[in-house]
Amino acid sequence: MPLLKAPLDTPVWIDLTRCKACDICVSVCPAGVLSMRQEPASILGAIIDIINPESCIGCTDCELHCPDFAIHVADKKEDHFRFAKLTQKAEDRAKAIKQNNYRLPLNYDQ
Amino acid sequence: MAFDYSNYLRMEKMPTLWCWGCGDGVILKAVIRAIDKMGWKQDDVCVVSGIGCSGRFSSYVDFNTVHTTHGRTVAYATGIKLANPEKHVICVAGDGDALAIGGNHTIHGCRRNIDLNMIIINNFIYGLTNSQTSPTTPRGMWTVSQKAGNIDPTFNACNLAMGAGASFVGRETVIDPKKLERLLVKGFSHKGFSFMEVLSNCHINLGRKNKMASAMENLDWIDSITMGKMKFEKLEEKEKLNFLPTGILKEDDEVKEYCEMYKEIQDVHQGKRAKITQNDFDKKI
Amino acid sequence: MNTREMISTGNELAALAAIDAGCKFFGGYPLTPSSEIMHSLSDMLPKVGGVAIQMEDEIASVCSVIGAAMSGKRAMTATSGPGLSLKAENLGLAQMAEVPIVCIDVMRGGPSTGLPTRVAQGDVSQAKHPSHGDYKSITICAGSLAECYTQTARAFNLADRFMQPVFVLLDETLGHMHGRAIIPTAEETGSQIKTRKQFDGKPEEYFPYGVAQDEPAILNTMFQGYRYHFTGLHHDKHGFPTEDMNTCKLLIERLFNKVEAHEDELEAYEEYMLKDADIMIIAYGSVSLAVKEAIRDLRKEDIKVGLFRPITLWPAPALKIKEYTDKIPKVLCVELNMGQYFHEIQRVSSRLDIDGLFKVNGRPISPHEIVDKVKEL
Repeated sequence: MPLLKAPLDTPVWIDLTRCKACDICVSVCPAGVLSMRQEPASILGAIIDIINPESCIGCTDCELHCPDFAIHVADKKEDHFRFAKLTQKAEDRAKAIKQNNYRLPLNYDQ
Repeated sequence: MAFDYSNYLRMEKMPTLWCWGCGDGVILKAVIRAIDKMGWKQDDVCVVSGIGCSGRFSSYVDFNTVHTTHGRTVAYATGIKLANPEKHVICVAGDGDALAIGGNHTIHGCRRNIDLNMIIINNFIYGLTNSQTSPTTPRGMWTVSQKAGNIDPTFNACNLAMGAGASFVGRETVIDPKKLERLLVKGFSHKGFSFMEVLSNCHINLGRKNKMASAMENLDWIDSITMGKMKFEKLEEKEKLNFLPTGILKEDDEVKEYCEMYKEIQDVHQGKRAKITQNDFDKKI
Repeated sequence: MNTREMISTGNELAALAAIDAGCKFFGGYPLTPSSEIMHSLSDMLPKVGGVAIQMEDEIASVCSVIGAAMSGKRAMTATSGPGLSLKAENLGLAQMAEVPIVCIDVMRGGPSTGLPTRVAQGDVSQAKHPSHGDYKSITICAGSLAECYTQTARAFNLADRFMQPVFVLLDETLGHMHGRAIIPTAEETGSQIKTRKQFDGKPEEYFPYGVAQDEPAILNTMFQGYRYHFTGLHHDKHGFPTEDMNTCKLLIERLFNKVEAHEDELEAYEEYMLKDADIMIIAYGSVSLAVKEAIRDLRKEDIKVGLFRPITLWPAPALKIKEYTDKIPKVLCVELNMGQYFHEIQRVSSRLDIDGLFKVNGRPISPHEIVDKVKEL
């Protein structure tokens, strides 16, 4: 299996040149790790943002669902990231993001 | 470390020309992962695609690739496979490509049980040419060629394949890429015609005028019309009309594969065995 | 040249030629009067480790042949008029993607279902342009039993040389005629095989369609380490689809140039008693056999008539034809169609006084009909 090295000490990273702002990864992330943010220069005026990488549980749903190879998740077995467990706080945040058109609501109380 | 898709992709062609959120990209990913799991060498794989959004599939992957005319994927693939029986040939076609213009070739590919891996990306519409009715577009939906509402009844592609004699038939969706990958691996491993229907979202063409203009809404709709096959079997006949069962719907390893049978023909003509008779087959008709 | 004598039909000789020329794949569909080619190859090909398959329709048969040829094998299909019409779209893809295949057309009465068991030469225009768009056809026509063999074998070499489909026109008369033919031996034919060019450098430096403007694409056999893309769309040097204005223009021009710049390699014709002729008959295929006999009869009466028989019909041997039409006063085209090559002769010669003898009722032209017509001129 060919492997890609993570750029920083983060379990999930993105290739901004590929994101088409389809919102799917944000909609499938159970832990509120991702959110869309405004980006005038890109398609649809938005782009993906990793807002809480420490909440990532390594489910890889975002990577599997991304049609454009824009997001990668480290492999649980290969790396030494400490993937988080899914907390209520993370779930609530994910729900809030989904309900706010896939964007973290302004002034959201973390 | 994460899976590096760049080995299998023609990186200079990225990003894909597919719309944002298009299921085609998810399927592309799943196919790459499945091929990687199979351990196939890139040089031994040929991907043949038809015309349509799904047809662009072949230009993105780094294998021996062929982009054919509309509906003829299985016919081209049959020639490539028979001429090179040890290699792995994958066909990718859309619902219009494989079931409308290409219906005949799909049927005969199933009948022949030749070792091809046919992936039908069913997005319930003709996407590339802008929303015309396809043989799987649900009745009552708005299409550009039937603005008063679609009256054309639909095919059940998997039932068609089973009726035509395919020895491996399965259906999955882009909603669960892990299940999709497992189906693809099973299909690729199967020796015989593997028919794999993958339900995909086309929110830009089908969805926009049919109340599901975003990828998520379209995916929710696909979720609402699919059901695992065990659960599906327990439904009443009338309820079954509104669901498509997912999973492996047929898997028959006993049916003889065409290239292997053709080797027998070569043996007959080379004097290595007696002529083939009806006694060589369990199914006499 | 080493030869052998065979007693056979045109169809069977064509099938034999395919085997001897290294054909390894045949895809066909039953269509009178070409079916015997499929029947023969379904026995002969598996014997030499090749594959012959009867597909579900005419379109599937040409697609399977193009697929096999894409993968690197010498491949052939055989059909008649109705089948050629059906195959048109995919023949266009073979032209565009530069895939070498041989397509035999055993012509029968048309149009439509026409006269399935009777002779005609009505597919000549179609072979020049079966599919939409711009490209240059290569079409050769067998004029005797022996040529059913030699021209089919030649077609494979031409297809590999020019990287496109080559049409071999037979007709029902020749296809079903049973007689004696002196043809090259299998070894002789085998020694003449010239397969397509291959690139043997580094895969990163391989550009299948990145060739000079008068050269055909160099398409390596599949599965050997050179991975590239075939498509019917306009494409760049890698084979990937493109809409770039300049690339598209150069591609179409190259599809023409690769043939036009080397027409000398394609030209083939027969000059029969033309040296002192006042009357030139232009005919091809089985008609030429009757014409030759008519000429022999007419010569007995001191009528100076000769035959120009094009073997490569498209591209037409324009310069040679004009050489004759410029000096021979009377020119007569004899065809089993409504003048499909006659129009080309008019164009090439710039003469509007070309005569024609056209027969379209499914029967062969007999020598005395030709003799009568010549005497009328």
